[in-house]
Amino acid sequence: MINSDTTILEKEPERAAASTPVSLARRIGGLSDRAIAWLFITPTIALLLAINIFPLIWAIRLSFTNYRANRPNAVLENVGLQNYQRVLTDSDIWIAMQTTAHFVFWTILLQTLIGFSLAYLIDRKFRGHAFWTTVILIPMMLSPAVVGNFWRFLYQPQIGLFNYIVSYITGVPPSSFEMLGSVSLAPWSIIIVDTWMWTPYVMLICLAGLRSIPDYIYEAAEVDRASAWRQFWSITIPMALPFIMLAVLFRGIENFKMFDMVMLLTGGGPGSTTEVASITLKREAFESWRTGRASAFAIILFVAVFGLANIYVKALNRVKQR
Amino acid sequence: MAEITLAGISKAFGETQAVSNVNLTVRDGEFVVLLGPTGAGKTTTLRLIAGLEKPDSGRVTIAGRDVVGEAPASRDVAFVFQQYSLYPHLTVYENLAFPLRSPARRLPATEIDGRVREVAKMVRIDHKLENRSTRLSGGEMQRVAIGRALVRKPAIYLMDEPLSSLDAKLRGELRLELKRIQSELGSTLLYVTHDQIEAMTMADRIGILAEGRLVQMGTPREIYSNPANLHVAARLGQPHINLIPEGLLPGGSAPAGTKTIGARTEHLEIARSERGNAEIDWIEHLGDQNHLHIKVGQHRLVTLADPYLAIGRGDRIDLKLRNPLYFDAGGQRLT
Repeated sequence: MINSDTTILEKEPERAAASTPVSLARRIGGLSDRAIAWLFITPTIALLLAINIFPLIWAIRLSFTNYRANRPNAVLENVGLQNYQRVLTDSDIWIAMQTTAHFVFWTILLQTLIGFSLAYLIDRKFRGHAFWTTVILIPMMLSPAVVGNFWRFLYQPQIGLFNYIVSYITGVPPSSFEMLGSVSLAPWSIIIVDTWMWTPYVMLICLAGLRSIPDYIYEAAEVDRASAWRQFWSITIPMALPFIMLAVLFRGIENFKMFDMVMLLTGGGPGSTTEVASITLKREAFESWRTGRASAFAIILFVAVFGLANIYVKALNRVKQR
Repeated sequence: MAEITLAGISKAFGETQAVSNVNLTVRDGEFVVLLGPTGAGKTTTLRLIAGLEKPDSGRVTIAGRDVVGEAPASRDVAFVFQQYSLYPHLTVYENLAFPLRSPARRLPATEIDGRVREVAKMVRIDHKLENRSTRLSGGEMQRVAIGRALVRKPAIYLMDEPLSSLDAKLRGELRLELKRIQSELGSTLLYVTHDQIEAMTMADRIGILAEGRLVQMGTPREIYSNPANLHVAARLGQPHINLIPEGLLPGGSAPAGTKTIGARTEHLEIARSERGNAEIDWIEHLGDQNHLHIKVGQHRLVTLADPYLAIGRGDRIDLKLRNPLYFDAGGQRLT
């Protein structure tokens, strides 16, 4: 028995060598493994360069010129930092940035609170929880164009269901207020739709976080005589926090460049009360045709989002490493 | 500290009967080990005492008080889980302090601090108090988990295979430490394991569980030398007890109805003899002792032998029984 054991051990390296496949390169004539690896990733890299990196570099170039896309044959003049200077001193743009910040703040706050609460409720294994999870996810699966148009009907003062329900609850006549047309309500009408549509997404991420907490941690806490309240604050929240922060990051980046819903619901109006940065950018680029200046603005937005996201990811990693 | 009794406890999970009609008393200050294979109902028994499961029938009393309707928090037990179950986002110190920071207890901070440091020293983790609990080795994590149970002075400590995921050396060390701590504190402890060595070395009394039933309860010595049936006999002893049919070997005096004979090393007499009834089939050299694999007709036996015993593979020996264990056709012990 001992003898046979030693012979098996001695043969081990040979057997390992025999079971390792012949290098791929030797089978495909003349190419090294490294060359084959490059062969596989080149199409992806080429595509990324063509549709992501090249336009970005081109936009940076244009941001230093007076280029106008509707006059492609005009002489291109290098204007240095003038575009950036104009953008950063333009009070309209600063107002648009404030509007954007307002949207980002409220949508994230509402979506995180409601999303986490829903996740917390649906995490209890009650009868049919899988069905209700799917139902809750439906808004997120719809096309923004459909959602936008659909909500315009709901917000319609005379026939809209939203106004009808509000009037049913509060007693205010339905046609006495106009969600999309009033200066004070229009921003909120967009926040409501975005929250309706994207809360399920936040819920899904929070649910993943809650499911990642093993049952025995709660059992240990229960034996350690921690109340439900204490379990929630000292176990559930800290352990789900990295997931919640991730959801906030995703929604934050997404809503910083929010365009579709605003365009479909209010188009930036009434006046410019819902004109977020991306709408201003679009007007600058495709209505005023100041392509150079719009490029500068786009670059500024890009750097801002990129910088904020980076700071945030650092914080997220700190939380995760605890 | 208090006495714990289980009276007629049963618990089923769907079709599976995990625990059936278990009666068990853990006396005040006693170290009781429940020994049994996977699926014998050991963990379920602990969870029933802790209140993490509700029994289908039966009573659990802690210090004379029926606790079946009570939540884990009000039962005053401490539980060490098999998977450490430390709070991963907290430091070692915070993990140890967690059970003391219960609002129901309202201990002053200085007392908590004193208690945490005392226990940390006891389980030898006091040099890592500020470490994150996820940055510890397996042995350290389990020491923190044990320490977290020890910071309180509950009615009973319940431990679910706390050493099973550690390597052999560490397991040996912690086994000693645990026994030392328990006797220092005089605490009541119910410990679950499938490792017979842990059971034999630490227990005041051992309970053998099989298929949800408590088969036998007694001191390690009793369980080892007077097993109630074949199952219990097979749980203890290294190498495994030899089970041979009656009449195969000479010696001993089998009572009527004997079907199977259980023979451990101490029940076998070996003498070299050219015309013996058995043959040495194989010898495993373990260093301090040898495992002899013996062939008797179609049957194979394993026994321990002195490493100096001058005997080799293929040698014939005379094998005789000396006061072995007798079992009837149903596996029950005959005396």
